[in-house]
Order: sequence, then C-alpha cells, then structure tokens
Amino acid sequence: MTNEPEVRLKPDTTFADWRKRFTERAEWRLTEHFFRAMFDFGFLNDLAADSFKRVLIGSIGGFVAFGFLLTRAYMIKYAILWNTGNPERYRRALLGDDMTIIGLPMLLVAFVTLLVSQSLFPDERDFRILGPMPVRRIVVFRAKLSALLMFTGLFTTAAHVSLVPLMILTSLNPWGDSNVILRLVAWAIASVTASVFAILTITAVVGILVLALSRSRLQALSTIMRSTVLGVLVVCLPLVSHLPTLGGPLSRGAPWMVLVPPAWFLGFQRVMQGSADRGLAHLAFVGIVVVLVVGAVVAATYIILFNQFERLMLRPAPMSPPWWRINRLPLRSRVPPAFRGVFGFTVATLTRSELHQGVLVGLSACGIGLATIFLTSSIRLPISASIVPFLLMFACGVAARAALALPIEHRANWIFQVTEDHAMRREQMRAVDRVVTVYVVGVPVLAAAPLLWIALGSDALMAGLVVASIGLVFVHGVLLDWRRIPFTCSYLPGKRFVGHSALIGFAACLLFTLISSGLVRTALVSVNQTLVITAALLIVGYWLRERRLSAWRKTPLMFEDEFPDQMLQLQL
Amino acid sequence: MLEARGLSKRYGGFLALDRVDFQVRRGEILGYLGPNGSGKSTTVNTVVGLIDPSAGSLWLDGAPIADDPVAYKRRIGYVPEEPHLYTHLTAIEYLTLVGRLRGQSEQTLATKIPEMLQLLLLWESRYATMAAYSKGMRQRVLFAAALMHNPDLLVLDEPFSGLDVTASLLFRTLLRMFAAGGRMVLFSTHRFDMVEKLCSRVVILSKGRIAAERDMAEFREGRAESLEDVFVQITGQDDFTPVARQILDLMQP
Repeated sequence: MTNEPEVRLKPDTTFADWRKRFTERAEWRLTEHFFRAMFDFGFLNDLAADSFKRVLIGSIGGFVAFGFLLTRAYMIKYAILWNTGNPERYRRALLGDDMTIIGLPMLLVAFVTLLVSQSLFPDERDFRILGPMPVRRIVVFRAKLSALLMFTGLFTTAAHVSLVPLMILTSLNPWGDSNVILRLVAWAIASVTASVFAILTITAVVGILVLALSRSRLQALSTIMRSTVLGVLVVCLPLVSHLPTLGGPLSRGAPWMVLVPPAWFLGFQRVMQGSADRGLAHLAFVGIVVVLVVGAVVAATYIILFNQFERLMLRPAPMSPPWWRINRLPLRSRVPPAFRGVFGFTVATLTRSELHQGVLVGLSACGIGLATIFLTSSIRLPISASIVPFLLMFACGVAARAALALPIEHRANWIFQVTEDHAMRREQMRAVDRVVTVYVVGVPVLAAAPLLWIALGSDALMAGLVVASIGLVFVHGVLLDWRRIPFTCSYLPGKRFVGHSALIGFAACLLFTLISSGLVRTALVSVNQTLVITAALLIVGYWLRERRLSAWRKTPLMFEDEFPDQMLQLQL
Repeated sequence: MLEARGLSKRYGGFLALDRVDFQVRRGEILGYLGPNGSGKSTTVNTVVGLIDPSAGSLWLDGAPIADDPVAYKRRIGYVPEEPHLYTHLTAIEYLTLVGRLRGQSEQTLATKIPEMLQLLLLWESRYATMAAYSKGMRQRVLFAAALMHNPDLLVLDEPFSGLDVTASLLFRTLLRMFAAGGRMVLFSTHRFDMVEKLCSRVVILSKGRIAAERDMAEFREGRAESLEDVFVQITGQDDFTPVARQILDLMQP
C-alpha cells in the first residue's frame, strides 16, 4: 500500500507491472510454450534446434530480399507498360500481377501451416500432461489457437511486408487509375483474408481427420494427407508463376477463373476499391462464402474436440490390421536378414513418418514443378522430353538423400549401434542402395515414360533405356560419402551457407540435366549408338556400385552428424 | 565370466568412472547399485559398447573384448533404462528388425516372435504401433528384443521401471532361471529391494568408484547389516530429516 503513490507517478512501472501480470498468466505461458513447440520438429537435438532457428530467421530475411528482387524485376515491366501509353494493357497486366501478389503469400502461408499441421489442435500429449494440472481446458485451447495465430501471423506479416514495395510500384501509373492508399489497404485486407483461407483450409482438413480417425489410423492417414497437400502446393509454385498471364481471361470474365482461388480474393480487393465489374464481384462473393464455410468447419472441429476431448484422446488402439498395412510375420527368404532389416525399416519409416514422407514428396514435387515450367514453355517437345526425366531424377535424388538423412527417434538408434557388425554392413547398406536406386531411377523413368512416348514415339523405349542407365550412374552421386543407416544419425541443419548450397545445387542440376539430355539425344541417332552408350553407362554404373559397396564394408557407420571442422574451401 | 579391469571414462574434465573393477561370474546376477550420477549408466553403456572407455578394458571368458568386439556384441542382450524404441513400428516389426540386425533367420523369427509376444501379453496389441504402448508394454518389448537371440550375458539398466507387478514377478523369475543356466546378468539399479530379492552379489558405486562389493548371502544370513545401511554409510547420506524438513517448509505458501 505504501508504494501505491510512487507507482502512479511512474507510468512505466505500471506498464511493467501489467506486463509482468500478463506474462505470468498460465495462458500466456502456455501460448509461449506452444509457439516454441512449433519450431521443434522432434527430430533435432539442442544444437540442431538452434541451427534450425537460425535457418528460419534467415528464411524470413530471404522473403524480404525476394520481395525487393521482385520489385526490381517488375520496374522494367511497368516502365515498358507506362511508355506504351495503352491504359488497357496496363490494367490487364495489373489484374494478373495483383493476383500473383495475393497468390504468393497464400502459398507461403499454406506451406508453413502444413509444416506445423501436427500442432494445429491440442493432442494426446497435451491431454496427458496438462490434464492433471490446474489449467482449464478452455485455456489450453485458447493458448493453442493463439500460438497458431502467432506462428502463421509471423510468416503472413513477413510475406506481406516484403511485397509492399511491389504493390506501391504497380499502383503508380500515368493515368491516375487508383488511389494508392486505398489500393494498399484493399490489397492488405484481401490478401490477408486469402492467407487466412489457406490456413483455415489446412486446419479444416486436419481437424476432420482428428475427429474421424483413431490414433494410429490418424497417424497413417494424416501422413498421406500431408504429403499429398505438400506435393500439390509444390506443383502450384510454377502455376503461381503463370498467374501474371491471366489478366486477359480475368478482364474478359472467363468462367473458369472461379477455379483459381487467388482470383476470388482479387475480386474482393477490387470490390473494396470500388469496382463495379460483375465478374469480379461474383469472384469476391465466392471467396467470402468459401472462407465462411471453411471457417465454420474449423470452428465446429474445435468445438467438437473441446467437448469430446477425453473420448477422442483416449480412443483405444486398433485390434485389427488397417486395410492398407500388410502386417505379416517374416517369411522364408534367401535375402540376407541384414538387408531385409534395413530395407523394411526404411520403407516402413518412409510410409509412416510425416516428416520423412513430407520431405521426400515435397522435394520430389519440385522436380514436377520444374518439369511443368519446361513443358509449358516454348521449348520444342522432343527437347523438353529429353530434359524432364533428368529434372525429375535430380529432384528425386536430392529428396531421397534429404529424407534418409533426417533422424527418427534418434535415441532409439542404440539398437543399430549395439548390433553393428562389419560382416553385415555391406548388406545393410545394399538395402539403402536399393531403396535409393528404385526411387531415383525407377520413379522418374516411370513418370516420364508417357511423355517420352508422346514426344519420341517408338524411340521412347531406347530413350528410357539410356535414361535408366544414366540414373544408375547418378545414384553414385546421390550416395557420395553416405555412411548411415537411414534415419539413425543425428542431423544438423544449416551446416553450410544456404546460398552456397543453393548455388552448388543449381549448378549441379544444370550440368547434370544438360549433359544427360545431350547424351540421350546423341544415343537416339542410331540403334548402335544407343547400345554402345547404354553398355558404357551400365558398366560405369556397375563399377561405381561395387566400389561403394566395398567402401561401405570397410567404413564404420555414422551415428552423430558433425559441423564441418574446417573452413569451407571452394574447389575451383 | 565378464571382467572389467580399471575401467575409466572421462567426459572433458569430468571423471564419470574411475578405475572400476568388477566381475560377473557365470550363473550369477550381479547387482550394480549406486545413487543417481554415480556412474552406473556410464558403466552399462561401456559394457554394451555404446561408448568407449577412456582407460581400462573388458574381458569375456579370459579374452579382451577389444580383440573381437562384434563377436562379443553377438553374445549380449541389453535392456536400456529408458524405453527408446522406434515407436512408428509395431512390436512385430521392431522385433523382426532387431532379429534381422542380429542375423537371425526368417524362419526362427517367424516362430519366436509370436510366441514371445503371447508370453509377454503383447499379442493383442500387435497391430498397434508402439506409439500407443504404455511404458510397461515398451519395456516388455525391450526384454523380448534382448532375449530373442539367446544371449550369454544380459545387461539390464533399471529394467523394471514402468512394469506392473505381474510383469516384474515374471521377469524376476526369468532372470533367476536365466542365470541358473550358467549365464551372466549385470543388473544396474538404485532399488535395494530388487537387489536383495534377485542378486547373488552386489557392487556399490559412489562418485564413479567402487565403494563396496558384497555377497548377498551376508545380508540374507544376517552376518552383515542391511544393504540399505551399508549403502547410506558409503554414500554418506544417513540422515534425511533436515532435507525433508526443508522441503516441507518450502511447500508453505
């Protein structure tokens, strides 16, 4: 009581008191905890988690830099548009560009939400840990929701801030078409609504799965759902790059534009700017209705989960095998046990772990995205068809290596350590080799087969043979310096400067694709040439395989990842 | 016989194990007792080959294990303190993986795994991934994994944590019979009752050093004070009343 007058005289102390009271509330503490947990994917140790946070902060900086880069590129485009003196052309271009500026943050936020989809709802762990504590369930739910808003809000804000300069640039025009401030405000509202729609859609899908499935079924189906959505989002990337070209169809009121979600929110933006266009108003209406429907699904999911929390969290484990899993006992086989052990473990992990499947599918889908860009470009089909399999192969190679390198339950790797046996190591690593070969060679060849057939006709068979042979050589590059049982070694992200890795990756992809597609075209000149090149590649592929199998036999397995202890040298 | 000779382990400046010597004879269960941080788990990790000792050596049946560590690893079964398992696998899949890593034939695994799961009351849950298992169920899976390849030496690090009474009684009987068959058990724990009921000898560890080694018959026949008395004398923690009082005081609002 004696301190009261003093407190009144110092408003900053009052604020500090209020802040202290606020941050000491259980709800804030829980929100903070859930927010931090969203950066923790469960497979990183402390050192790796710190490194991962640096990578995330760096990526936010990357968005801002990307925004400036985009603005710089658009300066040239808009300078040309202003100089043409044709306002209609400018308006058409603006429609397409506005849709892109709405679509980009939407896609980014969808990615981020998908990344944390395991934390969108309070789960069994929250139930078991927080249940006995004197915290009301409503507080737990509110904290979870607040953490989700903070996390997605962080990325939504970063994405929108990075695009503000571009928005200002595109608003300027010699015809005095729009009020810059009004346009900025309308864009901010419409684009944030679009991002919210992306968040709500993923939350709704996850929510329905949570309510409908038992724990073990949920794990399996949500893994498939996540990978599918991730694949779709990655494939959407090149489609977003085509959005600027859709200004024409939009201005003509093409009915299929209703299938392009960013167009709904563009309509919303233009209606807020005062546009009387009926087509845009219709798109805006569709957008608002869809947001309300998805929002209602999410709200209903939260309410049902809130009311039925115990029942849903304590669903018993299944007593019968799920239809998609053949859970059988080992069968007689001549394949060495060490091979079967590692092969089975690798396949089971890739089919059940959300993280590993997500990395595999997401990075592989980048190959499909790149292939889409090539196929929709003006390059002739036979040339595109000789490039596409290698883009897919490169993406699958990067995806396979990244997915196999990430650990699962790292502390459970003791079983591999106590059973490590140099006599069996070759077989264990041969299993890794088999998985990588099937994925890196088999999947791209099968995926590209229809395209090769359309582009090359009967030559497609020869081309497929050469592509597969090149793949067998490429597997060696994928498994270079590899000495781990998949998922058993700790992982340190950000070991190298991201830009450096990206540059090397880009150069490697370019070189591999160009050389390989050149080889395919050379091989297709005559049957003899095809046979000679294929034979040479198969011999090299076989020799490299034997070499790596022999090296694996002699080298101990690696269970702890390490930061490079030497300065990185550019070997130019 | 398993023999540790002058086993030491240093982590940077911290000496976790300091010239530890002990023997696990055939047919006996050696209790390895010590308070938290005394070096029990470091010893166990060294014995199973998860970490290399900074000094000293391990010998099995008169031969240093460093001569052929793989042959030695084939002869041991290990149950760790925490049930770290690949929980995305079912119990069948995990035991199959372990069996294959140990080079067991598919036919052997197809016969042993179902029987083992039935005996350990895990058959009903065979279709669930181990993520849905309780700690006790996971511990039973670990026991099964440690026993399936018919080891010569069992190394157990607090193996009974999380097990219910029935499973504890089963494993106690099993361990006695296992040792009686001429095999060895190194049983690391901080529970006196378990050591008293199960072990033939006990080694008491304090601050990384062997502080005492006794035959359990001395306690059973009343020739020595109780194991608990010996333990508190060695660790110097004989009167806990002041600490208990401080905790009670701290609880006051």
